[in-house]
Formats: sequence, structure tokens, C-alpha cells
Amino acid sequence: MTDRMQDTVLSILLLLLAGIWIWLVSTTIPGGLGRGDVGPRAFPLTFGIALAILSGLLLLRLFLSRVDAAATEAAARSQIEWLPAILVLLEISLYGFLLQKTGFLIATPVVILLIMLVNLRVHSLKAVIGMSLGVTIGAWAVFEKLLGMYLANGTWINLG
Amino acid sequence: MEAFIDAAYLALTPTAILAIGLGSLVGLVFGSIPGLTFTVALALALPITFAMDPVPAIGLLLGTYIGGMTGGSVSAILLGIPGTPSAAATVLDGYPMTKRGEASIALGTAVIVSVFGGIFSLIVMIVSVDMVSRIAIGFGPAEKFALVLFGLSTICGLCGRSLLKGLISGILGLMIMTIGLDAIDGVSRLTFGTVNMLQGVNMLVAMIGLFAVPFIIEAFSHSGDPAPKHVANVRAQLPPMGLLLKKTWLMLRCSVLGTCIGAIPGTGGAIASFLAYDHAKRFSKDSESFGKGNIDGVIAPETANNAVTGGTLIPLLSLGIPGDPATAIVLAGLMIHGITPGPALFMNYANEVYGMYIAVVIAYVWVLGLQLVGIRLFVHVLKIPRDMLAVIVLVLSVIGAYSIRNSVFDIYTMAVIGVLAYLLVAVRIPTTPIILGMVLGPTLENEFRTGMMLSAGSMDIFLTSPIAMIFFGLAILVIGLQMRSELKSKKKTQQSIEVSDAS
Repeated sequence: MTDRMQDTVLSILLLLLAGIWIWLVSTTIPGGLGRGDVGPRAFPLTFGIALAILSGLLLLRLFLSRVDAAATEAAARSQIEWLPAILVLLEISLYGFLLQKTGFLIATPVVILLIMLVNLRVHSLKAVIGMSLGVTIGAWAVFEKLLGMYLANGTWINLG
Repeated sequence: MEAFIDAAYLALTPTAILAIGLGSLVGLVFGSIPGLTFTVALALALPITFAMDPVPAIGLLLGTYIGGMTGGSVSAILLGIPGTPSAAATVLDGYPMTKRGEASIALGTAVIVSVFGGIFSLIVMIVSVDMVSRIAIGFGPAEKFALVLFGLSTICGLCGRSLLKGLISGILGLMIMTIGLDAIDGVSRLTFGTVNMLQGVNMLVAMIGLFAVPFIIEAFSHSGDPAPKHVANVRAQLPPMGLLLKKTWLMLRCSVLGTCIGAIPGTGGAIASFLAYDHAKRFSKDSESFGKGNIDGVIAPETANNAVTGGTLIPLLSLGIPGDPATAIVLAGLMIHGITPGPALFMNYANEVYGMYIAVVIAYVWVLGLQLVGIRLFVHVLKIPRDMLAVIVLVLSVIGAYSIRNSVFDIYTMAVIGVLAYLLVAVRIPTTPIILGMVLGPTLENEFRTGMMLSAGSMDIFLTSPIAMIFFGLAILVIGLQMRSELKSKKKTQQSIEVSDAS
């Protein structure tokens, strides 16, 4: 996908987001009472309209400009790596779920093990187990024991 | 004087000194690893401070900020890769010095001039914060609204190459902050009936997501890339006194430059260090040796980027306007500990503010000690592969997000915001304006609504205040200047394309 196409898709998505936002804000948040009461709806609505205008301008700029506007931003260009992004989203969500159900001391090594095998493709058993247990025990000792922070206990299993 | 002695009691406790030291060490390590900025360190360190007293807590954050700013020079000098954007200019002469076998003297000089720049800016900050606060004490809702609007206009400076995309990013930040219970009427906004959404998106959770998760995804995307194996075995060697005395005038000029740049919201260390480098080169009798290992090319950027630290704290403490993401996190830390920066800062929290000044000095002492004594050990961190560091950052991010409210919902929020931030960066939308929007959004809305209530719905309250009008004017000026510079750069690109088409 070229930068120009990427920007076109982006501006359409943002326009869509602005439209949904404006509709939600208008239908679910009450307006002000007048005489100085701006009300809770005014600002979210203004921001939604501003987003719509700015996304519209971005789209318009793409259509009007002869030069590929995005080409001027080539320095900051980077490709989207969908697989690692989705994996990280799933792994953090799994981590959250396991924290609640099994507690920090089980959830952490399980997730690190998964990351080491799936994302990093580490095959050395020593490295995988060392990293999983090392980070878990290190974090538990520093945060729970030294700093007195609460690191989740599980509702299914609880190792304390 | 009494307040200062009380502050010394708060800042010189073993807990405070150790907390500042820990922050400095973490900042140095994170700052020195390319790609792992000290902003990530700050976002991860913030939850740790919850259980601490205000001065050690803020000291830890300031230590991380200062350590990070200094740490960027380590990889810049040793590897030729800047640890932070503000150390990019240091590479130009620092790395050639390493290639010539002068890494130790380059590192030693960098740390000494960093401390010089930092302490200089601290002195300026001490004088300025009180002065600006005294002026701002009489601000009402109209002036505060205009001030925050001006603060938001500095998003333009953080936009990167596209003003439009930067503004979109800022608006997204403002939109996120309207979710949850409305602060004035208590009406729930876009919560979809869920209890978890009533408190809105927690700013710290968002910050961890915005800064840490994109780093994790990036690191996992390039897993298998080898870590630099040939990191020179060095120690930081103190530069000769004669050299420092000879360069005092250059250090002073760069300190002034760095402090002034830092005090302008939306600028930051990278701009200051490149301007200082350019300044040193322009006024050097030996300008041709720049880029080939001239020590002035290390002194100028390192002095300036550390002088930025004090400069950025001036608008933060006196007006409550953060100039960059790092100070936005420090602001969040201050507010969590019940310290509201702004005009009334000295009236309400004089002890804590003086305590922070002392903490900055202690942080620089720690940075000096850690760099001079511990550099041999901590350069080994540079040999750890990035993907392994990312695993540790992932665990720390989850701990950080969870510990804010002991809520798993915050972990999910962090993950979603983080992945969205990664996608935004990939389509060249800067994420820093989101933070500024999130930090300043609630104040913007509350002050406007309060102002309108006081004036019974008349806009005159904003239009008749000279101070408010000055801030509105400044906001328009900032936006206008950014638009002009964007149009200029676009014209240049168009011309270069036409030339290449013709040839």
C-alpha cells in the first residue's frame, strides 16, 4: 500500500469515527440548560466536529495535491507489522485474564514462556525457563516484597 | 528559609536519596538503550511511586528524567546510535572520538557538561518559577482557559512533518479524556453503561500503552536482530580542568540556549542539542574538524540537552503546562501526590517544591557518580538483545497498568491503546499530541464552563481580559508559524521534484 493510499484509508476511517462519535454524543449526552450552562455535551461534540473537519481536510489535501503529500513525510515511514501487533494484543489480554484467575506468580511465567516460544522463537529450554522464572521471581521480589505493591492473586488458584 | 530547611528534611532522608538514585539508574539504563526511551521508564516508574511520600516519589521521577537525558549520550558515543533523540547530535563527534580510542574522555566530558547544564538550568528555574507563579496567581477561569489553549497550540511543535496529522492526534487525546463521568455535572459520557468506564480512561494507563507497547511490538517485529557485540570496554575519564575552563564560555552559551528552548512548550532536547551543535560549529575557529571528533561537538549538545530539563520544568511548575511527554508524566506524578502545579504552587506546597529542587541536585550527583564509577558495568546492558528487554518491559507495563487501580480492565485498555498507538505511528500520526490533549483537555473544558457560568453565558469574559487575549494571540502565532514552515517545506519539496522531473 502506497503512502497516498494509506492516508486515504486513514482519513476515511477517521471521518467514520468522527461520524459515529458525533451520533453517539448527540444521542446519549444531555445538552446544557442555557444561561451560561454549557453542559456536558458541548465539548465532546466540538471535538467530534473538529475531528471530522480535520479528517476531511486531510482527504481534500490528498485529492488536490499533485505531489504525493505523504512522500514529504518519508523519513518517518514505517511498515505495519500486523502479526506481532495482534500477537502482543492477544498476549497482554491473556496476561490480564490469567492474572485475575491464577495470580501473578502463575500468569507471568506462562505468558513469558508463550512469548519466548511464539514471538521470539527461542528453542533453548534453559533460556526459556531461565527467563520465565527469572523475570517472575525478580518482579515479585522487587514489587511485592520490597515495594509492598499488590500483584494480583488468582480466583482459581492462589500461590500468594 | 524555614521552608527550605523543612524541604531539606524531606529530600535528604535515606528513602528519598535512594529513590532518586534508583530513578537516576533506571533513567540512565533506559536512556542509553536505543529505542527504549526514558519516557517509557517514566511511565513504568510512576506506579512504583504510589506508596511513597511526595518528595521521594517526585525525586524518583525527576531522577529518571535527568538520568535518561544524560544516558542517551552513552550509546551515542559508544555505538554511534543515540539512546534518545536529544543525544542524536552527540553522535556526530562522540562516535568519531570512540573510533579514535577516545571514548573514555568523551563519556567523562559528556557527563561533566551534562551536570553543568542541568545545574545551570536549575538555578534559572528556581528564579523563574516563583516569578512566573507570582504573575499567574491572579488568573481566573478566562485566563486559565486561554493559557491552556496556548499550551495546546504547542502541539504544533510536536507534530512532526504534518500539522494536520498532529492536530488530529491532539483532538484524539481530547476526545479520549471526555469519556467517563463529567467533572461538573456528574453525567456519564460514552460509558455504554459499564462501571469500568465511569472513571474514564486513566491517563497513566494510556501513557504506558502509548509509549511501552509500540516499543514491544517493534522489538518483537525485529526479533533475532543481533545486539551490538562490540561495545568498547571503557571507563568515564574526567576531562582535564584546563579543557573545562577553556570551554566554560561555550558551556554557558549552550546552557542558556538549552534552558530557553526547554522553557518553550513543544520543543525539547533534540532541537536544543542540534541548535547548540550548530552554534558551536558556527563560532568555532576549527569548524572543519566538526564531525570528525571535535570535543566541542560533544560539549555543546550535551550541555544544551541537559539544560532543557530545568527549562521544561518552568512552565510545568509555574503554569501547569507540560512541554513534552516526559514532563507530562512528571505532572501526572505531582497530581497523584496531591501537588497541583500552577500559580498557587508556592502558596500551597512550598516545602515540596523546594524539596524537588534539592532532589534535582541529588539526581545530578547520582548521575555523576553512576556514570563515573558504574559505567564499566552498565555498558553491558547495551549487549542485551532488544527483544529480551521487550519481554521485561511487557511484564513491567502490565504490573504498572494493573497497580494503578488493581483493575484488569486497565490492562486490556493499555493493550488496545498501545496497539492503536503503534498503528498511528506507522501511518505517521505522532502520538505525543495525544498525551498533551489528554493532560490539558479536562482543564480546558472545566475552565471554559466555569467561565461561562460566571459570565451567565456571555463570551465577553474571554474577550475583555487582556491576559487571555495575549494567550489567544500567542496560540494563533504558534499555529501560524507552524503553517508557514510547513508550506515552505512543501514548496521546497515541490521545487526539488520539478527539478528532478526536468532533468
